[in-house]
Amino acid sequence: MTAAFPFLLQPLFWSARNRARRRERGDALRAALFGGIALLVAAALFAVALWLTWQLLDYEELGDYLIRLGLGWLFLTFLSFVAFSALVSALTTFFLSEDLRLLLPAPVPGARLFYSRFARTLAQSGWMVVAFLLPVLLGLGLARCAPALYYLTALLSVVPFVVIPTAVGTLVTLGLVSVFPARRARDLLMLMGLLFAVALVMLVRFLRPERLLAVQSLPDVTAFFATLQSPITPLLPSFWAGESLFRGLRGELDLLHLGALWTTAGALTVLTRAAYGRQHFTAWSKAQEARKARFTRLRALEPSLRLLPLGLARRALLVKDLKVFLRDTTQWSQLLLLVALAFVYVYNFFVLDLDKIPYMGRQMKNGFAFFNLLMAGFVTAAVAVRFVFPAVSAEGAAFWIVRTSPVSLSSFLWSKFWTGLVPILVLAEALTIASNHLLGALPFLKLLCAAAIAFMCLALVGLACGMGAEHPRFNAENPTQIAGSYGGVAFMVLAVLYLLTMLALLLWPALTYVGHAFSGLRLPPRTQLLIAASLGGAAVLSLSIFLVAMRRGVRALEALG
Amino acid sequence: MIAVESLVKTFGSFRAVDGVSLEVAAGEIHGFLGPNGAGKTTTIRMIAGLLKPTSGRVTIAGRDLAREPEAAKRALGFIPDRPYLYEKLTAAEFLRFHGGLYGLEGAPVEERARELLALFELSSWANELVESFSHGMKQRLVMCSAFLHRPQAVLVDEPMVGLDPRGARLIKDVFRQMSRKGVAILMSTHTLEVAEEMCDRIAIIQGGRIVARGTVPELLAGGKDDKLTAVFLKITGGSAFQEIEL
Repeated sequence: MTAAFPFLLQPLFWSARNRARRRERGDALRAALFGGIALLVAAALFAVALWLTWQLLDYEELGDYLIRLGLGWLFLTFLSFVAFSALVSALTTFFLSEDLRLLLPAPVPGARLFYSRFARTLAQSGWMVVAFLLPVLLGLGLARCAPALYYLTALLSVVPFVVIPTAVGTLVTLGLVSVFPARRARDLLMLMGLLFAVALVMLVRFLRPERLLAVQSLPDVTAFFATLQSPITPLLPSFWAGESLFRGLRGELDLLHLGALWTTAGALTVLTRAAYGRQHFTAWSKAQEARKARFTRLRALEPSLRLLPLGLARRALLVKDLKVFLRDTTQWSQLLLLVALAFVYVYNFFVLDLDKIPYMGRQMKNGFAFFNLLMAGFVTAAVAVRFVFPAVSAEGAAFWIVRTSPVSLSSFLWSKFWTGLVPILVLAEALTIASNHLLGALPFLKLLCAAAIAFMCLALVGLACGMGAEHPRFNAENPTQIAGSYGGVAFMVLAVLYLLTMLALLLWPALTYVGHAFSGLRLPPRTQLLIAASLGGAAVLSLSIFLVAMRRGVRALEALG
Repeated sequence: MIAVESLVKTFGSFRAVDGVSLEVAAGEIHGFLGPNGAGKTTTIRMIAGLLKPTSGRVTIAGRDLAREPEAAKRALGFIPDRPYLYEKLTAAEFLRFHGGLYGLEGAPVEERARELLALFELSSWANELVESFSHGMKQRLVMCSAFLHRPQAVLVDEPMVGLDPRGARLIKDVFRQMSRKGVAILMSTHTLEVAEEMCDRIAIIQGGRIVARGTVPELLAGGKDDKLTAVFLKITGGSAFQEIEL
């Protein structure tokens, strides 16, 4: 007879405990950085919730209405988020986890296995929502001087609220895996999730919320709120959670909605348990069947790459890297979101009427070009840490193939560098040139920014490639894990420091030049010399970072045990 | 063809390989035996160029691995014990990639890849992703790649792991045929029957040192037993048998 279901969760806790005991290099840095960011975000959420509720206190009934509407929207957003997150988590916890091979042959009763896997799914899909809700609900309660009952209601409503979408997500996963193989279903879900995010970004942008800032669009505001009201239906758990919390704020216990939350959560858990009993073993067995996978052949790739002036080994590496990248949904799907964000960024400059923005004079516009450059630099760093930094680690356990082949590790790393540099350079240049053109920056600044971003790409891609080779994680499950490792965090810290130094080196020469250009004065020779030195310094800094990082990367690969 | 001189590898204060010297002549199949943790895989990994020796020298086809790594590796085919491959490539694409790394492309290498896939009974899987292959199929694909560039020396770590009897028979035949063509084969294995059946000479490593070497009759001549297993256990001190309750 095996122990109750929490026993099956013990390996997770033990692993976490052992991991915490065995300190690795960079743990402190990573904890400080991520912990700091998390605290800042929580503090910001708390402050915004507190301030907003405080402001709404002045509007009595309208304020109450808006808080109710806000709570409804907040929970509605989280409802869909948790449901989708549970869909993906359940695939792993119920079908793809390695420990299932150990647990399924063991004499563990089905119910215990189900509840342990369900608890894992619940924790994985719900922790972020709880972490976000906590400061918001705390800010709301403090601003309204809510009684203790409100905090109790918060606890009583958030728990079943997270269980409901988790159960729904798990149910859908059980159904999906009965139709598609588990890995295929995961790829499909990842893609659907990203397409959903892209659609959301585009939708929000095309609503053109900046119109609300204009006084003449006041009638639109009421229409806007009417639109917001429409998806909040009393049949959804988000409405029940929002209502019970709102009543809690007033010191009332909303038994009807709390009851609805708990009974629905209980009923769905029982239903999911029943579906698990009926479906899981069949679906699991199906997931184990080896079958010929469907994939994109990419037949045109090799003939096209033959046109490039590359040596045979470099071309072989490039073909391999591109095929592996394009056939792995987890690798390329985030590009969709990136392209959407880049499009929205440039589109903003297209639709914003800059001349109507106060203080947006010629000087400001040109100053804004630098903000643009910094943004493009950050985008480059973010793309580099996600796509270039994991390039060496992505070889994984198959790295022996390259290491035992007659290809030098220097050639290998340089191949990774060029594969990363070309697309990133094109993206960064397109962003910088398009946005500066729409901004109406001076030709000198356009040229300077285009050259500066090229140097930044060189330095950041080189740094990501070199540091990725110095801190490889060949056993990582996905590129995101590699990007979030010690090396990835250290790269981001260095990248931000580099970008700020570049800004300091470029800003003064650019502003001096623009100032003289607008006043019609010639630049004195000494100033010209200082401008050249400053710009030269930026170029030397970029080239040094790029070369040193790549050299260190090659040396690290050669010393690899 | 493969020459290893006084190879040493230390991990901190632990001496995993302690002055190993080996020589494998052209056309010879040389067995490399030893109990778990004796230093076999570490030695093999150093010869394959996967691990930097603390000291000592590895030469393949007369090329020093430390000084001319590319030239030395060009003459070597390596078959690791675990066949980790690029899962998102097809078998044919993987062999094309492998050929590219060794500077081979075009019709001759395509033809060679087809021949090897047929030899290792993978022709019908040539255009399928490696991720859908079983362990044994991956192992056979690794062998295709190791022989693709017609190496002068082959380094094999546990060749029979994951292979069915039919696959194991095939590998033995292929190795014998290659040896007849003058290819030097250094094979690390736990399967003493395979070593006894196939190897011209055998070296036994324990505690990072070579403790015995010679042909199978030479090794057997040292004791009363007529089986390599008994000799191996005697040399490595593993003959003590403790009964356990089952």
